[in-house]
Amino acid sequence: MSRVNTVLGPIPTEELGLVAVHEHIGYGMPGSELDTTWWKTPEQRYAETVPKLRRFHEYGGGTFVDATGICNGRDVDYYRSLSAKTGVHIVASTGFVGGDTALPFFARASVEYLAEHFVHEITVGIGDTGGRAGIIKVGVSRGGRMTDLDKRIYRAAARAALTTGVGILTHLAVDAENAIAIFNEEGLPLDRVLFGHVDDGVNADKTRDTWIADQGGRIGFDTFGYETELPDPPFWARPRKERLDHFLRFISGEGRIRQVLASADANCSPLGWPGVRGHTVNYLFEDLIPDLRAAGLDEAAIKTIFVDNPADFLSIKN
Amino acid sequence: MTGAQTAENATVNTVLGPVPAQELGVVSIHEALLSVVPGAEYAFDITLDRAEIFATLAEKLQDFRRHGGGTIVDSTGMFHGRDVRLYEALSRTTGVHIVASTGQGPEEMLGGYFLTPQTDPPTPWPAEKFADLFAKEVTEGMVVPRVERRGAAGLVATAASLAGMTATDESLFRGAARAALTTGVPVSIRYGNDAVRDLRVVLDEKLPAGRVVVGGLDRRDAVAAGAPIKVAALGAYVALDHVGTEDDAHVTDAERAALVAELIEAGHGGRILLSSNATGVAKGHPANEVRYSHVLTAFVPLLKAQGLGDEDVQRILVGNPRDLLSTR
Ligand SMILES: [Zn+2]
Repeated sequence: MSRVNTVLGPIPTEELGLVAVHEHIGYGMPGSELDTTWWKTPEQRYAETVPKLRRFHEYGGGTFVDATGICNGRDVDYYRSLSAKTGVHIVASTGFVGGDTALPFFARASVEYLAEHFVHEITVGIGDTGGRAGIIKVGVSRGGRMTDLDKRIYRAAARAALTTGVGILTHLAVDAENAIAIFNEEGLPLDRVLFGHVDDGVNADKTRDTWIADQGGRIGFDTFGYETELPDPPFWARPRKERLDHFLRFISGEGRIRQVLASADANCSPLGWPGVRGHTVNYLFEDLIPDLRAAGLDEAAIKTIFVDNPADFLSIKN
Repeated sequence: MTGAQTAENATVNTVLGPVPAQELGVVSIHEALLSVVPGAEYAFDITLDRAEIFATLAEKLQDFRRHGGGTIVDSTGMFHGRDVRLYEALSRTTGVHIVASTGQGPEEMLGGYFLTPQTDPPTPWPAEKFADLFAKEVTEGMVVPRVERRGAAGLVATAASLAGMTATDESLFRGAARAALTTGVPVSIRYGNDAVRDLRVVLDEKLPAGRVVVGGLDRRDAVAAGAPIKVAALGAYVALDHVGTEDDAHVTDAERAALVAELIEAGHGGRILLSSNATGVAKGHPANEVRYSHVLTAFVPLLKAQGLGDEDVQRILVGNPRDLLSTR
C-alpha cells in the first residue's frame, strides 16, 4: 500500500493527481509576525487564498505541497480548513527553509533532537493539530554556503527520512557537494531528495543541476513564474525564455525527464513580505504547461513531470 | 530625597493601563513571568498549558504580594514568551501590578526576519527600524502576533551578546534608546562583556542616563571591573538583578549586600535597583526557581545587617524604580 501524508490524513498515492510540489499557502520569516506591516485579517487571508486553490482544483490540480517550514508561518489548522473546503490535497512540511529561518530553540538543538522532532511531526502530528507532515524541508542559508546549522538540519532530515520514508525537499541546490556528502554518509538514496530552486535567477548559474542528477538526485525547476517580465519582479526573477530553455535543455538529457519536477513557489497570501503581484500556483496551468506543449512535449511527458514523478517522490517508502 | 524626581502626576504603563507611579509599591525590576526561548513553542515535547501556567504564576505573584511586593517588571521583551492577555488576567487576579516590556536581543535571539531579510543583500535591520518597532509597542500597544495590539509597554529591554556587542546588538541598543526618547519609557540593557562601553552606546543617542537601567551588574566580571560604581557615576541605574543566585558567574548575596552598602557610601543610593531575574515559568530553558519575594524575605535582612536603615531600603525598593519607570 502506497500512501502520502496530507494535512487531513494519509491518502493513497494514486489519488494525488497533478501535483504542485513546491508552493506556499503563506510564508513569512520568523519574527515577521511582530511587524504589523504584514498583518492580515483572517477574512483577507481566506479571500486571497481560497480563489487560487479553487482555480487550481478547477484546472485539474490535485495536490498542493506547502514547502513552508517550522517557524515560517506554517499553520496546519488553517491548511486543514482550506483543504477540506476546496478539495485540494495539501501536504505540509516539517523541517526548515534554511538554518537562518530556524529560531534559537532549534538552532541550539542537536542533530538527534532535530531528527526526533521531524519524525514526530511525520508520524504523530504537528503540534496538536492532528495533521502530519508529508515532506521534510531543508535549505541553504543566505550566502549560498551551507552553515553548520544548515548541515545539522540536513543530517537530521536524512535520518528522519530513513526512519519514516518521506522525502526531503531542498531550498536551493547550491553547495550540493556538502549536501550530498551528508546524505551519502547517512545512507539516504538520493532519489529521496528533491534538489529545489535549480532555476532561480540568482543561483541557476552556480547550481550543478546535471551533476546532482548524475548522482541520482531529483531536480526541482520550481520557481517558474518569477520572471523579469513581471511589473515588479523580485531579485530572484529570471527571464521567462531563459528559464524555459534551461528546463528544456535539462530534460533533453537521457532519462532526465524521470528526475525532474516543476512548480511555481508562489504564495497564496504572503505573511511577512509583500509577495509578487500576479504570480500564483496557477502559473503551472496558465503559462507553463502551454509553454511545454508549444515546445513539443506530449501529454505523456507532462504527466511524467506533474503526476508520476511527484507521486514516486512523495509516496512514503517503507 | 525619596520620590524627589517623580512628579506628583507621573504614571507607569502597566498591562492594565497607566497607574499612578506612587501606587507601585515595592518593585522588582528584572523578572520573567512566562519565559519561552523563541521556537520552543513549536517543539514536539514542550506543552504550553495556559491554565497550568496561570496557576503557577499566580501562586508566585501572590507570594510576592504577601511579602510586601507591589509591582513585577517582566523584562523579557517582545519575543521571549510575553503573553499580554495572560498578564492582564494575572494582574487582575493577584493585585500585583505587572509592567511588560518591548524590545528584544541579543542578536542570537532574533528571528531571521531581522537578520537575513528577503532583500538583496540580506542586510540586518538598522537602529531606526528597531526604534519604530519598539516605539509602536508603547504608543499603539504590544503585539499579540498577527492578532491585535494590547496595552502599552512600560519599558524597552534589550541585551548584547555575552562575547561582546555585535553590530546588530548595537542597532538594538540604539533603536531602544531612540524608542525611549520618543515615548518617554525607560530602557533596560543587559550588557555583553563591557557594561560601561555598552551603556555609552545608548547614552550616545542622547538618552539621559537616568532613563537607563543596566542589568547584570552582580556578575563577577562586572564587579571585578568596578562596573557598578562606574555605571552609577554616569548616572544610570545599577541593577543587582540576580539576587538569590550564587554561582560561578555571579557574586553571592552577602557580596551583593556589601556592594549595595558601598554604592550608598559613594553617594549612589539613588541609583540602586534589586531584582532576582526569576523565571515564573520557563519553556525551552532551565528555570531560575528563586522566588520573586526573595529580595524581601532573604536579602533585606542582609542589607539591614550592613547597616542600611528603613529609609535606604525603601528608596531602593520603592523610590528608585518608581522614578525610573515613570513615563516622561
Ligand atoms: Zn519556497
